[in-house]
Amino acid sequence: MSLSDIWDVLVLGLVLGSLYAVIAIGYTLVYGVLQLLNFAHSEVFMAGGFGGVIALTIVEPVADPSGFQSVFYVLLGMCAGALLGGVIAFGLEKAAYKPLRRRNAPRLVFLITAIGASFFLYNLAGKLFGRYPLAMPSMYENKTVFTVFGTTVSVTQLLIVSAAVVMLAGVDQVVNRTKLGSGIRAVAQDPEVAALMGVNIDKVVSRTFVLGGLLGGVAGFLFGTNLQVEYTMGFLPGITAFAAAVLGGIGNVRGAVLGGLLLGVVEAFTVEIWSDAWRYVGAFAVLVLVLMFRPTGLLGERVGRTA
Amino acid sequence: MRLAIPVAAGALLLTGCGSDDDEGGGGSGGGGGETYKIAYQGPLSGQNVALGENMQNGVQLAINEANENDEYDFTIEYVPADDQGAEGQATSAAQSAIDDQSVMAVVGPAFSGPTHVSAPLYGQAGLAAVSSSATDPALTEAGFPTFLRAVPNDNAQGKAMADFLAEQDGVNSVMVIDDVTPYGEGLADVAMEELANAGLEAQRESVPADTVDYGGAARTVTTAGVDALIYAGYYEALAPFATRLSESGFDGIGISGDGSNDDELINLAGGAVEDWYLTCPCTEATAEDATADFAERYQAEFNKAPGTYSAESYDVTSMIIQTIAELDGDVNRQSVYEALAGVEYEGLTKTFSFTETGEFNNEAIFLYQVQDGVRGYVGAVEELVGG
Repeated sequence: MSLSDIWDVLVLGLVLGSLYAVIAIGYTLVYGVLQLLNFAHSEVFMAGGFGGVIALTIVEPVADPSGFQSVFYVLLGMCAGALLGGVIAFGLEKAAYKPLRRRNAPRLVFLITAIGASFFLYNLAGKLFGRYPLAMPSMYENKTVFTVFGTTVSVTQLLIVSAAVVMLAGVDQVVNRTKLGSGIRAVAQDPEVAALMGVNIDKVVSRTFVLGGLLGGVAGFLFGTNLQVEYTMGFLPGITAFAAAVLGGIGNVRGAVLGGLLLGVVEAFTVEIWSDAWRYVGAFAVLVLVLMFRPTGLLGERVGRTA
Repeated sequence: MRLAIPVAAGALLLTGCGSDDDEGGGGSGGGGGETYKIAYQGPLSGQNVALGENMQNGVQLAINEANENDEYDFTIEYVPADDQGAEGQATSAAQSAIDDQSVMAVVGPAFSGPTHVSAPLYGQAGLAAVSSSATDPALTEAGFPTFLRAVPNDNAQGKAMADFLAEQDGVNSVMVIDDVTPYGEGLADVAMEELANAGLEAQRESVPADTVDYGGAARTVTTAGVDALIYAGYYEALAPFATRLSESGFDGIGISGDGSNDDELINLAGGAVEDWYLTCPCTEATAEDATADFAERYQAEFNKAPGTYSAESYDVTSMIIQTIAELDGDVNRQSVYEALAGVEYEGLTKTFSFTETGEFNNEAIFLYQVQDGVRGYVGAVEELVGG
């Protein structure tokens, strides 16, 4: 493998990895606050893809859009994806998890509810939007933007990575700098003491879900621009992003980013060295290996302590 | 033991209810005389549903026309058996058709993977399963008792792809990519063999159909620098793959099989599949004289043009209906299967007859090409490569 090959593969891996990272944040935030594995997050992601497609289908992008129009379409798609993702995540928390929290249901019940909600949502999407895959309306010409060390970077690739960087940095700031962030960290560390200190736990939990949902929704839209949108699209990226969150240390925001990027890059190199059929074999071998030596993930766990 | 009695009683009750329902359904069928049912097993939901619906419409049109036809003194009822095109759903889909005692024959299963699972069950039940689209060569070698294939298998399709590529100028090296499904792997195996026979350099890769990113696969193709690519898989995966390929500058000949031969491919991939070739054992119903009339009736009924295997499924269903008519009242699963196995039926698309293993006695493969965003019909491969 020559140096330019390595660059090529690295770019592919980082693009995929940034998507995983953005989805993984949704898992990690909710786990950090509630110790809940929200498996329905993959459907929040799927909803984001549909949000983007629907919004763009309504405005009907013109052929050969100008630069300004392209930016408008992309932003519109992102906002629609984020909106639908956020709404689904909010509804999910209110309808599925809040009643359980009220009744102090055991952990296992949350997990099963999450799986049930996931099935419900993707079958509902299949009913509502049809079982056909939908292509994302074309918003720009996907040409090469620049070349780095002989490796070309396309508009879609640049869009995915830069959107991911902005969102990840944003979340990091929200968790560490804002009032909502201190709430999140306080509830993550000790919900009872946080409640005694006047933190409204319900509000914090709800907003955490929405924050994860917004990111998941945008990731779904970005994923749709890279592939296509369909009701089953959440499952594989969802599971992989969940693995990424665990790899980085579930509950840890920066860990989710690290885990996502690492899994994406490992996948890309597995495909290059062996073949596409070995993609998950390589990625998950790395996951198992890391967890053997660092059972809490690369950066340890808990939003409350280390984020 | 204590459980056995209630379980047995429950089972009896359930089967009792089942047969009641059957009689009810049969009685309300109306029309003249007996009511027989014909099932169709294929993907009616899930991925690749477009392929399944093309066939379902063909089956339904044949049944509707038979019921309007005064010549027949029986009524045919349609039974859908949705297997989502997936092996995991194939058992329950087949079982639903088998459990309905009025079902006299099955059109399908549509896909090769589910056929491997369902065909033994149909064999046990003595119910004829006539597939108009499952093309894995291994299916007729497996010795399923009641399976008949009414379509040329992938040996023919793989050979047609290789023959066609060998005729093209400047094609020396070919990459064959399968989608890790029984259909894709079977077709790719044959293609590899036939490419070697045709004297072309061939290499093989596998890219699973649910891959989340086709960038790596596209890179594999472009860095290999091949002159042509054979994709053995379905349209749903080919669409994003072709998009990545065209972005990464692949300019060789692209060719795929009947699993990709659907207009959905163009809807999803847009310009990225321009100039791609598609082979299919199916003819283009709107292009051939023999099926033009069928195409009009199909258009009138479903408000769209017939798709891949619509006409073939129509033919197979009509063949089953005619076979039932010729049995003259002596209709049961066994007699229907035996009559079908020895049939020689002149359909719209071709003549249907089967070998002793249930293999189809016909190997014609047809070529399509995407041009200006439309899936155009090129013609029979045999004629194109000069026999």
